[in-house]
Amino acid sequence: MRYSYFESPIVMTTVRLVAPFSLTYGIFVTLHGAESPGGGFQGGVVVAATVIMIAFAFGARPAVEWVDERVVVGVFAGGVLAFGAVALGTVPLGGAILQVDVLPIKTKYGIEVIEVFIGAIVAGVVTSLFFLLTEGGDQE
Amino acid sequence: MTLALELALVVFVVATAVATALLRDIVASIAVFAAFSLGISVIWVILQAPDVALTEAAVGAGVMSVLLLVTVAKTGRLSDEGALLSVNPRALTAVGLLLLVLLSTVPALPDVGGPDAPALQKTVDGEATPYGYYVEEAYEETGVKNSVTAVLVYYRGFDTFGEATVVFSAVVGVLVALGGSRRWGEE
Repeated sequence: MRYSYFESPIVMTTVRLVAPFSLTYGIFVTLHGAESPGGGFQGGVVVAATVIMIAFAFGARPAVEWVDERVVVGVFAGGVLAFGAVALGTVPLGGAILQVDVLPIKTKYGIEVIEVFIGAIVAGVVTSLFFLLTEGGDQE
Repeated sequence: MTLALELALVVFVVATAVATALLRDIVASIAVFAAFSLGISVIWVILQAPDVALTEAAVGAGVMSVLLLVTVAKTGRLSDEGALLSVNPRALTAVGLLLLVLLSTVPALPDVGGPDAPALQKTVDGEATPYGYYVEEAYEETGVKNSVTAVLVYYRGFDTFGEATVVFSAVVGVLVALGGSRRWGEE
């Protein structure tokens, strides 16, 4: 049974209204993990949920053509590489692995930079899971 | 007021959990499961765990339901003969007895957030507990007001890096299994 799409004006209008706010909220939560609840993981999931919500309302087919697989894979792979780079980058500066406070910026900003990488990883991974399940692979 | 809200939420969560297990139609089951996650996330808010509540609402109620629905749409659903699954009486008895045993331990637990709760002791025998240390020192050492974030990224950054690579490895596995020879979005 193929994934079938049913066009619903109610769902489409609701998603069109909600999506900008939830996307903004996801980015806000990612960037403000140091001051308020949340962080990279929660923010990344909310961003990915927004993408999935749009794909759910307007059909996975157009969404999948709009979001290039290479970009999404690049986002989460880049997130892991950047996290790893920060993790090892503290060693030549005289700290232990991931000892953020030896970085030349305030510790708080070091933590927030890592939160952004975590957000990129989670958003990319969850978006990938959705698109792989709906449209991925060799379908007959 | 809070007690009434908590009781209503517990009833709601238990009812949706039972309905998730019993409903025969798997799409209805997924919808009820999303409601369950939403109820649990409100409970997290009441228990003052907003970080967990955010995750539960976004992952449990949002992303998970969609992934389950997509999977059902791809694999098919049970034919609808009756609304509920039949329950094995012996299994029900065993689960009920286990539930009674577990519930009998609840009165012995300290109040959530109460002064006697072991998780909230700042020192034990004069030594700082992890909780006490993070609450006292996290802001001084990192400048981060949300101590959950401080623990996750600063004090336990290596674990978080491990989690990130686990998630990464998992999706690479899915990519290999479901990705096939063409990219998504390609005809």
